[in-house]
Amino acid sequence: MNRAGLALDAAQTTVQASGDWVVHNPDMVTPPTRPAGNFTALDGGGLTALDTAGAWKLLEALSLSGDMPQLEFRNFKPQHLSILRLVAQHFAVTQADATRHPASIRAALGHGALTFWQHVLGLLNFVGQLTFELAILARHPGRYRWRELGAQVQAIFINAIPISIALIFLLGVVFAYLMGVQAQKYGANIFVVDGVAMAICRELSPVILAILVAGRTGAAITAQLGTMKVTEEIDAITTLGLSPYAVLVVPRLIALLIALPLLVFLGDIAGVLGGMMVAEQQLDISPAMFIDRLDNILDMKTVLVGLGKAPVFALFIGLIACRMGFAVKRDAQSVGVNTTSTVVQSIVAVIILNAIFAVIFVRLGI
Amino acid sequence: MSDAVIEIQDVSTTLGGKAIHRGVSLNVQRGEVVALIGGSGTGKSVLLREIIGLSPPDSGSIKVLGEAVWQIKPDRLGNLRTRFGVLFQDGALFSSMSVEHNIATPLREHTRLPLSECVRLARLKLALVGLPPDVATQRPSELSGGMRKRVALARALALDPELLFLDEPTSGLDPISARAFDRLIRLLSDSLGLTVFLVTHDLDTLFSIIDRVIVLSDGRVLGEGSIEQLRGIDDPWLTEYFSTRTHAGAGGGWNGS
Repeated sequence: MNRAGLALDAAQTTVQASGDWVVHNPDMVTPPTRPAGNFTALDGGGLTALDTAGAWKLLEALSLSGDMPQLEFRNFKPQHLSILRLVAQHFAVTQADATRHPASIRAALGHGALTFWQHVLGLLNFVGQLTFELAILARHPGRYRWRELGAQVQAIFINAIPISIALIFLLGVVFAYLMGVQAQKYGANIFVVDGVAMAICRELSPVILAILVAGRTGAAITAQLGTMKVTEEIDAITTLGLSPYAVLVVPRLIALLIALPLLVFLGDIAGVLGGMMVAEQQLDISPAMFIDRLDNILDMKTVLVGLGKAPVFALFIGLIACRMGFAVKRDAQSVGVNTTSTVVQSIVAVIILNAIFAVIFVRLGI
Repeated sequence: MSDAVIEIQDVSTTLGGKAIHRGVSLNVQRGEVVALIGGSGTGKSVLLREIIGLSPPDSGSIKVLGEAVWQIKPDRLGNLRTRFGVLFQDGALFSSMSVEHNIATPLREHTRLPLSECVRLARLKLALVGLPPDVATQRPSELSGGMRKRVALARALALDPELLFLDEPTSGLDPISARAFDRLIRLLSDSLGLTVFLVTHDLDTLFSIIDRVIVLSDGRVLGEGSIEQLRGIDDPWLTEYFSTRTHAGAGGGWNGS
């Protein structure tokens, strides 16, 4: 790479440019500056290479106040001259201020509040639309897509069975083990059965599995619907005279409403089995004793409370996931942002709903 | 000027058990605007991907700007890639960045220029491809198809490449935008001294801005030269291809793909 140079000639009327004025030349970071003097012409005879970035830098170095310098171009190679003329023609647009001004705190606050409000409105609109579509579907049940529902149940329920069972089984093992350590000190081994059964069926299985489904299925739904939005598949569904709500949202919501209670039920069994295994190994409670005790203390109500929470969690996860999927803008980053948002919103919703349930059940004495 | 910018020798490719190329050889000289044509499935786009180093051929040698694309070390390939620009069929703009940052990205990665200068250079490129300055801060998703192609061209030109690859530059454009895009490519190649290698179906592009046409057929180069020279070749596909122009009339801008 030849050094880029800029110098006045002996007569003080012509600036001579020399060397490589190209974008890859490190000299372009701090190019030669304007020589002092009143020159009227630019001599390009010494230039060994010139590209648009170099031509722009050359003109910038020569301009005083950001105006296009009025110079006569001399001795340029025809190739260099055409590049220089092309860049000179568009020189003005590069003189606008290109630095970005960071938004003020007030503007950021306002923007954030507006975004939040639009988010709330969007969710309301989504629920309204969905209710409307459900009403239509209720009047014409023949239009419902059972095949799609089957595929969704497969994806949300069947494929999630192994991970759900493993998760709650291990939770039951750990819970029984830690409780057993304490209970042994008081000789209250048998009460481990009470603890494990109640905790798993009433709280742990529904909440942990809802969080699992929020991360697993909620993220999948948002990413899928979001990508369909980006590739205009949702628009295609609309123009084919179908409703995206009926085709995409309703099957996923119903599949979630079916899947989560069933997963919680399987989780209940797995967790209790995990507890039973530890009880036998660590606390000398035989499976027969365990089941006998279980029969005494675990009433239907406790199990139903746990199972009853599941559809509510499922409904919120499904609504949030589908709504965030539809809210994706037409770029790749938006898919990522909304998927993250779905998981966060769903998990927060599950925790808050669970707290509300706890308060209600205590007040009602359940 | 007679130094070859692209030299392809005996390239063979098999995809999914099907022979796509059976000994393709061609040369592109510096400063030329060359079009590669051929029916669907003749491996035009595959050949383009092999030239720019995205998918490897089974055998044969491909030299771009004197470097053997599939033999050199990765860092030299990276270096080579800063010397050519590629315009993908759908523009392939980064959807999460504004237009000016799309164009500034290669400048930021491969030069030491500060960000504000990269952005101002990006605006220069935007003006060079004939877009108004207010486009600079918009997102790609807010632009029309023709504008997106121009932005993609500006990004391909960001590092002032010696060589420009275009994959179906006028597909998806209306005839007026397509002709304007053709003229723009010719103007830039003339004034910047670019070598342009493009894959196209667009007959109007061929008739208006191309120096030389290379026809790919049945895994080989069927013929090359000016359109008049190609008309002399007796090949059913070529005859039918050129006849679409006669049917459509001189003013018909037909974008087959």
